[in-house]
Amino acid sequence: MSTLIQLLLRSLETGAIYALATLGIIIVFRTNFMINFGQGVMGMFGAYIVTVLFNKMGLPIVLAILVGLVAAVGVGFLVDFIIIRRTKHVTGTGKEIITLGLMMVFLGITPMLFGVDPMRLPKVIENGAFSVGGANLSYNSLLNIILGLGLTIGLFLLLQKTKLGLAIRTTASSEKTARLMGVPTKWVTLFAWALALVLGTLSGAMIAPSTSVTVNLMDSVQVNAFIACVLGGFQTFYGPVIGAYIIAIATNLLSYYVSSVWGTQILYILVIIFIVFKPVGLIGKKTVKKV
Amino acid sequence: MAEYTTKLAEDEVLRLENLSIQFGGLKAVDDLSFSIKEKEIFGLIGPNGAGKTTAFNCITQFYKPSSGAVYFRNKDGQVENLVGQPVHSIIRKGLVRTFQNVELVGELSIIDNVLIGGHIDFKASGFEQALRLPRARREEKLMREKAEDVLRFMGIAELKDALVAGQPYGIRKKVEMARTLMCNPKLIILDEPAAGLNDVETQQLADNIYQVREKYGCTILLVEHDMRLVMSICDRICAISFGKFLACGTPSEIQGNAQVQEAYLGEKEE
Amino acid sequence: MQKGSTQKSFLKNPYLQYIFFGIIISLLPVLVNAGILKTSWVGIIGGTIIYAIAALGLNLLLGYSGLISLGTAGFMGLGAYISAYLTGDLGLPWEVGILAAIIIPVIFGLLIGLASLRMEGLYLGIVTLCVSEVLRKTFDELEPITGGFSGKGAEYPTLLGNIVLNQKQTYVLLVVALVLLMMLTHNLTNGQLGRALHAMRGSQVAAQAMGVSLLKYRLIAFSLATAYASLAGALYVHFIKFVYPSTWTLPVSLTILAIIVVGGMRSLYGTFLGAVIVYALPDLLLKRIPVIGDINGLSYVFSGVLIIVVILFYPGGVINIFRDIKKLFVKGSKKEGEV
Repeated sequence: MSTLIQLLLRSLETGAIYALATLGIIIVFRTNFMINFGQGVMGMFGAYIVTVLFNKMGLPIVLAILVGLVAAVGVGFLVDFIIIRRTKHVTGTGKEIITLGLMMVFLGITPMLFGVDPMRLPKVIENGAFSVGGANLSYNSLLNIILGLGLTIGLFLLLQKTKLGLAIRTTASSEKTARLMGVPTKWVTLFAWALALVLGTLSGAMIAPSTSVTVNLMDSVQVNAFIACVLGGFQTFYGPVIGAYIIAIATNLLSYYVSSVWGTQILYILVIIFIVFKPVGLIGKKTVKKV
Repeated sequence: MAEYTTKLAEDEVLRLENLSIQFGGLKAVDDLSFSIKEKEIFGLIGPNGAGKTTAFNCITQFYKPSSGAVYFRNKDGQVENLVGQPVHSIIRKGLVRTFQNVELVGELSIIDNVLIGGHIDFKASGFEQALRLPRARREEKLMREKAEDVLRFMGIAELKDALVAGQPYGIRKKVEMARTLMCNPKLIILDEPAAGLNDVETQQLADNIYQVREKYGCTILLVEHDMRLVMSICDRICAISFGKFLACGTPSEIQGNAQVQEAYLGEKEE
Repeated sequence: MQKGSTQKSFLKNPYLQYIFFGIIISLLPVLVNAGILKTSWVGIIGGTIIYAIAALGLNLLLGYSGLISLGTAGFMGLGAYISAYLTGDLGLPWEVGILAAIIIPVIFGLLIGLASLRMEGLYLGIVTLCVSEVLRKTFDELEPITGGFSGKGAEYPTLLGNIVLNQKQTYVLLVVALVLLMMLTHNLTNGQLGRALHAMRGSQVAAQAMGVSLLKYRLIAFSLATAYASLAGALYVHFIKFVYPSTWTLPVSLTILAIIVVGGMRSLYGTFLGAVIVYALPDLLLKRIPVIGDINGLSYVFSGVLIIVVILFYPGGVINIFRDIKKLFVKGSKKEGEV
């Protein structure tokens, strides 16, 4: 029983990391109508900023993260301002290819600015743990879990209860209509990209302690975030988040109880089979094609 | 494929029998029945939202009806029920349609678009096409000549290599008509062919429809809003409203029908 | 196999154009032997050709049929490992290895084609990504066959049982493969099959109304794309001589996607041009420039910026620059249908 609880706790933590990255993707998707393939790499870049602030400039970890997040906001603004603004007339996969270009730019800039040596980013709370139903839960993990759930809920409150959130939801359902109705879509996209960078950076900072900070830092998170969006459906904001937690839980359970080496593959195959039967994801709504 | 010979009279080519389709709780087509005779020009009319498009999507199997049947005398002279058959098989039986939105491939030339209409007549396999073996080359040549003939008939042969993208609306409609003629159809369903055409073009369309019937010996089902066109060229007309049958008869019979007038009351027709 | 067409003008015959193009790029080893170009060019242009082959397949899928796949890398890897295993571990002839490398993955391609009927664009794209990731992780695990994460090696091709090739000769083989595939693709896309794919992409409903079975043509599109990708992978392992599971990641699939979008969708020469720009240019040009060439990551930045610039200002692909130049030259005279 305690193993199960241990697995669930670990899943909640991994799920938090995935959920934040997934939110970054779905928010950009629903406001800009493109999948940002650079999400993971941009998060990695933000994590590098944090790491450098901590290692090279000696800032305490929490401060490093906060400054890093501010920097992430700035980077997000830059990305939106310089590039995304001009993509209005781009059709089809062109937008996704631009995000691919962005991905390559960030992949290139990172070693240029920060060098190629792997770096270390420690946990926010180094020591201490307590017992939950026989399982071990470190304070840091608890922090991550709370951050994940808290930010997710916070974002939903923002979407549902604030003017900005209303603007976002309106833009998400139809950009043209939103603009016609005076919704400041420019601010919406700006906010979306800044938020995506912030969430990516946070995600990166959360996963960094368990591995080293390299350009590949967010690779697995990135793929799982995409799959979470597919699982949860691209039509809502909350669907992919649920998908993220499901993937985290399923990966951990499958890896432990079924097979540690084939766990992820089994999960992906199950996701594929699921999509074949429910093509719009868990929470998706089907649109009837009009002839 | 069961034989339904008794379902159609000698001179009939299409018969809808108690056709219904439901979307959610709404019956878009409700127990609709009518029949079309060989070589008729038949009109299907009704106010906006009457279910004309839905009805004919049910004929062509783009929608699967909830109940009822669609009997059709195919190219081989056999009568079959179209309901439940795959959409892409319908053209093989000799039934072809146009689209109100003129669905053409912009990046292809006019003649290539017309050749898509000949898709089912290509027998050479992909393998043969990949290696350009003799049968594939022969077929391509023959079909191209046929396409050029059809384009000549439609009066736009000189444009055959021009890209469809950028062509004016009237030309695109002609290309689409040419595309439907490639398969030597038995029944052509025209989806609002006069939409977006001016008076002169509409008259040309009317002439063209007569010419098509004359040359190809086919039946034409016209789903249309433009009353003058319908009244002037149709042999018989069926009027529907809210998915239900209203009346069927000659243009003058329909014009004089009280129920039809009532259904259109308040509708301004140009 | 008679490939010639009966057109009058020698230069206008597309097949001869492809052959001429092939002859030009196969002169590379000659230039290297003469000392004009460095040896590394052979590897780089060879890699470009391999990527171009995979991109031709993706072009059939996305450019002509309008279907998205992010799984190209996984199938390239599958082709590579199959051929490496059959020729290396089982000692089978190279030709058998290549054939198996093409045919076996096509079965997967067919499955994906089947599944694709159920999903729209984005979902399909990410499902193909899932497949690619499943394959990649499988390459990691199936150590007896794939050598696990330490990778697998292969040799240069041995033709007809006893002609052993060296690197430069293998390169020429790659050129031959590319030219043959360009001709094959040309034939496929200009006939009934190509038009059916166009119709599917342009308007699914019109395609169906004209008798195009979406199922059949999606299966064809995915099979072809998979075959091209796995052939590219098999050629890769016999040219570069070593592959790892980590070779076949999402960035590779995205690079191939970038190749066709940057070069020009539905253009065969555009595909090669795209491969040169996205794959070869960074290695060829930038690393040579003193000082700048030593900065890590600069080539990635360059590629990324180039991709963004092309999409923003030349959305039809770089090949259109050539079309515009060509238009200037043939102004006044009648234009024939082109590739």
